Amino acid sequence: MLEAQFGTRLQALGAAMERGDEAAFHTMLDDMLHSRKPALFGELRELTSNLQVALDRFRVDSRLADIAENDMPDARARLQHVLKMTDEAAHKTMDLVEQSGPPAERTSKAASILAGMWANFRARKITVQDFRALLEQMDAFLPAVQTDAEIVRRNLSEVLLTQGYQDLSGQIIRGVMQLVQELETALVDLTRISSQGVDSVARGDAKPSQAASQGFGPVVPGVTKGVVASGQTDVDDLLAGLGM
Amino acid sequence: MSKELKFLVVDDFSTMRRIIKNLLHDLGYQNVTEADDGKTALPVLQAGGIDFLITDWNMPGMPGLDLLKAVRADAKLAKLPVLMLTAEAKREQIIEAAQAGVNGYVIKPFTAETLKEKLDKILATMAPK
Repeated sequence: MLEAQFGTRLQALGAAMERGDEAAFHTMLDDMLHSRKPALFGELRELTSNLQVALDRFRVDSRLADIAENDMPDARARLQHVLKMTDEAAHKTMDLVEQSGPPAERTSKAASILAGMWANFRARKITVQDFRALLEQMDAFLPAVQTDAEIVRRNLSEVLLTQGYQDLSGQIIRGVMQLVQELETALVDLTRISSQGVDSVARGDAKPSQAASQGFGPVVPGVTKGVVASGQTDVDDLLAGLGM
Repeated sequence: MSKELKFLVVDDFSTMRRIIKNLLHDLGYQNVTEADDGKTALPVLQAGGIDFLITDWNMPGMPGLDLLKAVRADAKLAKLPVLMLTAEAKREQIIEAAQAGVNGYVIKPFTAETLKEKLDKILATMAPK
């Protein structure tokens, strides 16, 4: 190809150089360069048009713009909500622990006093007065320990339920992770266009269509769209309305 | 007899499965099995022996709604009591679950009392074995 295109002219150029014919050399060189221009412009035009096509395809296929405008602000709000949830759960757990301390301690102290009196009774070292005191103490102790033990039991159950925050915050975090994955894909595509140019953009996947069967995760105030049940009572009312 | 009921608890978060299992124990139900997704739950159900299904909705493999539909579509499982226990709170989703044949719907976060109430309600409507 090259020989056919430039062969004779290069020979002529070389010959002019050999005989020292500067004028002829320069004229022929200018000629050659001149004929390159349209070809160069042609190549540049083709390159530009290919880049344009790639960018257009990227703009249409890529989720980047949508991610930047909509999903990122959402993601921040979602993670903020996670912070709030974990903070509240931690405090609630500690509240319940703090509230369980006193009843447990009361029981322990009262039992300890009672144990002393009981030991005397068993060792037959107890006066009638003290025996009456023991009975009174017992009368007070039994109902008190029932009440206090129930308080502690209830608090422990509440602590258990409070750990539900891990599931809810986990679902939200998982949703944000999906977004990060999409962002990564879009950015990689963009880098490929800019570095290798043109035809190397992988066909971006359209947003994995959120099938309603998949679920949307926990409600995040300000982010979750659509009409949302405000609590279990709302759910019960809705279901009752449907005849359930 | 009812305390011998065998439960299957399905949720992709192990912490939530643990919470529900503990609550069921507190209510006297000792027979509780777990699965981490609709996909792993279905074979367990098809193997038989499960009397009550408690399932989450948002699970990566097979979401709870699809599990519910699969259960209702299977002649052997169609009558299985199903309680959905999920964070999904959009009205259209609740309606969809009801239309798919769910017996009860509890949204997270929930209380032990609510779980007991809904369980009892469903069990009351079950034909005695």
